[in-house]
Amino acid sequence: MHRDLELARVGRRYGIRGPWVLRGVDLTLTPGSLTRVEGANGTGKSTLLRLVAGIDTPTEGRITGRPRTAYVPERFPSALPFTPSGYLTHLGTVHGLSRRSAAARAADWLERFGAAAYAATPMAQLSKGTSQKVAVAQALLADPELLVLDEAWTGLDAEARAELERAVAERTAAGGAVVFVDHDPRRLAGVPDAVHQVVAGTLEPRTAQAAPPVGPLTVVTARGPAGGRLPADATRPSASAAEPTPGTYRLTVPASHSDVVLRALLTAQPPWHVVSVSPPDVPPDEKDRP
Amino acid sequence: MTALLRYQTALLLRSQRWLPPVILYAVFLGVGVQSGQPVLDSLGYAAAALLPVAAWLVRICVTGEPPAARACVAAARGPARAHLAALLTALFAAALLGTAATLVVTVISRHATNDHRLPVPPLRAGAAGLLAILACALLGSAVGALTNRPLLRSPGRAVPAMLLAALLSMVVAGSPAHAAVSGLVTGSESGRIPVSPLPAAAAALLTAAAFALASALSGRRSP
Repeated sequence: MHRDLELARVGRRYGIRGPWVLRGVDLTLTPGSLTRVEGANGTGKSTLLRLVAGIDTPTEGRITGRPRTAYVPERFPSALPFTPSGYLTHLGTVHGLSRRSAAARAADWLERFGAAAYAATPMAQLSKGTSQKVAVAQALLADPELLVLDEAWTGLDAEARAELERAVAERTAAGGAVVFVDHDPRRLAGVPDAVHQVVAGTLEPRTAQAAPPVGPLTVVTARGPAGGRLPADATRPSASAAEPTPGTYRLTVPASHSDVVLRALLTAQPPWHVVSVSPPDVPPDEKDRP
Repeated sequence: MTALLRYQTALLLRSQRWLPPVILYAVFLGVGVQSGQPVLDSLGYAAAALLPVAAWLVRICVTGEPPAARACVAAARGPARAHLAALLTALFAAALLGTAATLVVTVISRHATNDHRLPVPPLRAGAAGLLAILACALLGSAVGALTNRPLLRSPGRAVPAMLLAALLSMVVAGSPAHAAVSGLVTGSESGRIPVSPLPAAAAALLTAAAFALASALSGRRSP
């Protein structure tokens, strides 16, 4: 994603005389940003995400700067006459991959979500959760510049939920924008760059809460080269960074982003030495967050 | 677009929803075409019967994909292109079916006029039949595109509207399908083989407009 996706005064209604579901929505999604959309049931969150994903055209207003987009629906049907690997290969080519790399990545992503055993099972026979894994894999297959997740975590098992959080962290670290809706307030807690709320048919930035919920954390201790500064890619997802002894840093990182931080440290030039990775030893509430 | 067409084709073939219209068309031909009948007359019948079948194939292609799967494809490629791929897949399927029917009818029919006096060369008859088949496949697809999602979304309206429109576009004078089929039928009387590409060209224009409208609306009138 090289430029911003911008929604300007966007409105949407179904039917010529239907009531406005959304109106006057302004939203800018910058590369590498994670955006959370909140709102009660039926307020138009899904409508907003469909507009952001480009599935629906706004009734009024403009959307500019469309990047390569992928979308995960809340419920994915298994009524498709394919096997997961066949469907994902088709979708990979639709996303612009060659057939060969689409098939290879389909296998990789099914493996990551623990669905490799079902790669050749007809989709009609899949459970709801496994179908949802196929939907998630479909979206992540081609490294989209904009990833839109409409309650994509619903129906996934605990391991797949954590894997999807890590996949989101990877996507934003690679410069992609991610927008998501989820009813669990702990989902990627503390990580989003922006939180918006759909209220009365329009979008408002959520005002800072007194105590934002904090998700699971990981403490990474790393030592750098003499006089070295922490790589920006490692500090950006970190909740806090302390320097207990000169040259050694303690980074407190959302658990979903520990892989991204480690990768940034180990691939820095010159590389950093990771001393330890451990769960936090102080209650997360006492961490001060920016 | 190639990837989208391949995906839509796989969806159509693997869903097996193409079977009913294809069987219906085979029954149409089995009833109306017998070996030894005048070739141009039979080709006209085959072309006319293809029009509602083409419209039905469009309905299958634009409604067959579950909405959530359609949304995934629309996000990747845009709703207009995704819809156009479904329409083109149906058109190709109808054209393929019509071509096969033309071949069979041309081979098994008597190569003469209705009164058996004048000979009708099979190659020219086949070419005329292909043009008429193409006109009917195109116009049928246009009818299907205009009477299904996204223009008419409830089956209660879409199906009767589609059948009525298919019938009208066959019988109303001035419609390219009517021109193409009546050209074959009168040719079978007179022995003059109609090889004018005009009806097919007119049908192609109408179909392009119908496809463009339906594709442009698919993002506005969903889900």
